[in-house]
Amino acid sequence: MEIDFYLLLSKFRAKSLAVRLHQLLWLYNGLVLVLFSGFYYVTQHKIIEAMSAHSFLQALPVLPLPAVEVLALSWLSFGVLFICGRIYHRQDLTLGTRYLALLGETIACIVAMRSLSLAYDGLVLLVVADLMHRYDGKNTGGLLLGAMLVLFFLADYNSLSFQRGVEPFDAYTAYYKDSVRGVLVAVKRGLSSVNVVLFALYLVTLVQNKHQEKERIQSLNEQLESANEQLRIYAAEAERTAEMRERNRLAREIHDTLGHTLTGLAAGMDACMVLIEVAPQKAREQLEKLRDVAKHGLKDVRRSVKKLRPDDLERLPLREAITHMVKEYAETTAMEVKLEVEGWPEAMRQDVEEVIYRIVQEGLTNANRHGHATKAVVNFRLEEGRLKIRIVDNGQGCKETVPGFGLRHMRERLDLLRGSLACHSENGFALEAVIPVGQGAKEETHD
Amino acid sequence: MMGRKQMGGHLLALCLLAVLGLWSWQAGHARTQLRVGTFVGSAWGVPNSEGHAVLEKAIESFEAEHPDVDVTYVSGIRYEEYPEWLAEQILAGTEPDVFLVPEYDFEAYAAMGAVRNLSDLTARDQGFDEAGFYAAALAYGRKDGSLYALPVECAPTLMFVNKTLLKREGIEMPGDDWTWQDFYNICAKVTKDGDGDGVLDQFGMYDYDWQLAVTTNGGGLFNASTRTSYFASPHVEQGVQFVMQLRKLQHGHEVTAREADQGKVAFRPFTFAQYRTYKPYPWRIKKFAGSEWDCVRLPAGPNGRNISPVSTLLLGMSSRTTETGLAWQLMKKITIDPEVQGAVLEKSQGLPVRREVVLKAARDKWGWGGAESVDLEAISRIMDEAVCQPQFRDQRAVITMAENAIQEIYAGKKPLSMGLHKLQKEVNAYLQR
Repeated sequence: MEIDFYLLLSKFRAKSLAVRLHQLLWLYNGLVLVLFSGFYYVTQHKIIEAMSAHSFLQALPVLPLPAVEVLALSWLSFGVLFICGRIYHRQDLTLGTRYLALLGETIACIVAMRSLSLAYDGLVLLVVADLMHRYDGKNTGGLLLGAMLVLFFLADYNSLSFQRGVEPFDAYTAYYKDSVRGVLVAVKRGLSSVNVVLFALYLVTLVQNKHQEKERIQSLNEQLESANEQLRIYAAEAERTAEMRERNRLAREIHDTLGHTLTGLAAGMDACMVLIEVAPQKAREQLEKLRDVAKHGLKDVRRSVKKLRPDDLERLPLREAITHMVKEYAETTAMEVKLEVEGWPEAMRQDVEEVIYRIVQEGLTNANRHGHATKAVVNFRLEEGRLKIRIVDNGQGCKETVPGFGLRHMRERLDLLRGSLACHSENGFALEAVIPVGQGAKEETHD
Repeated sequence: MMGRKQMGGHLLALCLLAVLGLWSWQAGHARTQLRVGTFVGSAWGVPNSEGHAVLEKAIESFEAEHPDVDVTYVSGIRYEEYPEWLAEQILAGTEPDVFLVPEYDFEAYAAMGAVRNLSDLTARDQGFDEAGFYAAALAYGRKDGSLYALPVECAPTLMFVNKTLLKREGIEMPGDDWTWQDFYNICAKVTKDGDGDGVLDQFGMYDYDWQLAVTTNGGGLFNASTRTSYFASPHVEQGVQFVMQLRKLQHGHEVTAREADQGKVAFRPFTFAQYRTYKPYPWRIKKFAGSEWDCVRLPAGPNGRNISPVSTLLLGMSSRTTETGLAWQLMKKITIDPEVQGAVLEKSQGLPVRREVVLKAARDKWGWGGAESVDLEAISRIMDEAVCQPQFRDQRAVITMAENAIQEIYAGKKPLSMGLHKLQKEVNAYLQR
């Protein structure tokens, strides 16, 4: 029981002040109703016991309800009032049902007040509070005003219709001694006043709540405005960054495609110059190959200009494109290149494919140009959702790796994909790139 | 949580159904109960030994016609206690379905709705014959033009004449059209000191008061609808003046009831109930030793006629009764049924309120056994002309006020006209408060 009480108390405390006051208003009015009906009940019994019913009735303008009926009717109608109030506050109601609930509330309010001989009109405020609680500004204003007018009119009309004679409550208090009567009248007024105070407090809180909400919305608006401004700045910056990146990319692209082809051509031509005297036939063949490379390079440049995408990659799947590129490179540079595929991701994004293609391309170019290697191994391996690309050559390597344009670009590309690049220079040069490729990787045997 | 709520709701519905079922089962099986509120003793302050004889007769007849109805009443409530008893029942909401309405409480109970408005019942009931009632008696049951109660019995006020005394003085019995002047003349003639001891020992009247004088001088005292009084009007002034003149004949002697009973008074107003009670044997012997009494109409004032005020016992229906139809049948049984109304004449002190019943008794030469007979036809004619003086909530208080003021006028402490004007002002202020 104690736990229940504390639970209720904590639940009560968790609610907003307006809701708490609204509930308090209900509780208070319920208590007052019980008090009044109890007063009528007790006094009626006392009057009958004291055998002064005749003189009591003589002072009354209307037939009073029997004590038991006062109790039953007032409590019952208060119950109906409460239930209608609850129904009225439900969110999932049609407009018709809500109006019906409101009507029920109004009628129950009148019956309850009538059962107490209109001695206590605080219930009107309760209904008005209920209306205010649900007040959302949309055509409820008229309804509110109408309901209030009807209630107060009925209350006043009823008391006016007595015309002469004493108000029943006064007739009831008249039974008591003067001193007691004074206390009773004071208590009655006090009860009404407390109700009015509670109601006013509730209204103030309600207005305050609305005000606070308005302020909150205003501050939210301001926040939104500043966020928007920042977003605009970011957007401008991002545009600039994108522009820069695109420029870099273009530079990379030119370097990668033209550089690669021209390096190949230069190397091939060097060979031709040697061969041309020794074996003109062989030189001729070599020159034909060089022409093909030049043509290919030209195509690459065109494509770069057009779409900035490797032609091989455009025509073929990545794996075929790499195989083709490796084969072609080996043929043009007379470098022995071996391609090992130990694992291959099932599906990759286009940009990832492009990066992989470029890394292999750059790696081989570097091996030839800087390392002067004769053999190179390109190895693909899958490890826990990462694709590891190792390009190992037997070239000179270097004591200190000074990242040139190619290496730097490679790193930049990998960074964009959250990958990494590592270089080792022992017995040649080893380049290791790791690219996350996500799910769907599968193991594959050696090629 | 929801489950518990739902279960609670179902349980409640089940309980309600059970209660409703029980209630309807009971209603279907139980015999209908009809309760009547009544008292023992007489409404007119005369001894009555017959108890609830008239009601018993009505119930017997009613239950014979409605075998599934039980009519009950609480017996033994005395007339003096009845208004309080009824008020308690009304306050507690347990008043009988049909009850006698105390004359002075009628207006209040009708106004507050404790007594049911019978207009719809009389309008629907083709067999209800309003004209069969004496108009004045029925008028007591009306308020603002609507009928709220039916008369059960009534008692007109008549003038008792000491035939023995008049015969001794050689004066003729006054006729039905006698006037204040005749009345005064006889009083003046009979007031004397018979034994010559210097003290008056024979008087003209006892208990004839200003209210009777005003009534027979063609006017009422109140307008109930506007809640004003007419104390300063000429017919009231004439009435009070007339009583003053009569009193002057007695040289300040207040005639006592004992002197009247001893036959030393020529005239005394009596209600029919008193007449009926004291006329037959053995009361006559006990009360008026050696004098022959008879009754005539009240003397007419200069602006009035020989009419009588009448007082009526009313029967009303509770506005909260569930058996309106049966209650209405029972009310008609008590107030209209010739047998029951006949029993009023036999067993009670009042006069039946149905003209035909009185006239039939007159044709049958009804009397109180033996030689004593009564001219019921004449009384019926008096009833036809009698006036209704509607009672209202503050009437008794106001009459007390008036009585005090007029006593002061009698005593010469206040001049007549001014005193009445002042009284009217005070009474009006009281009624309008």
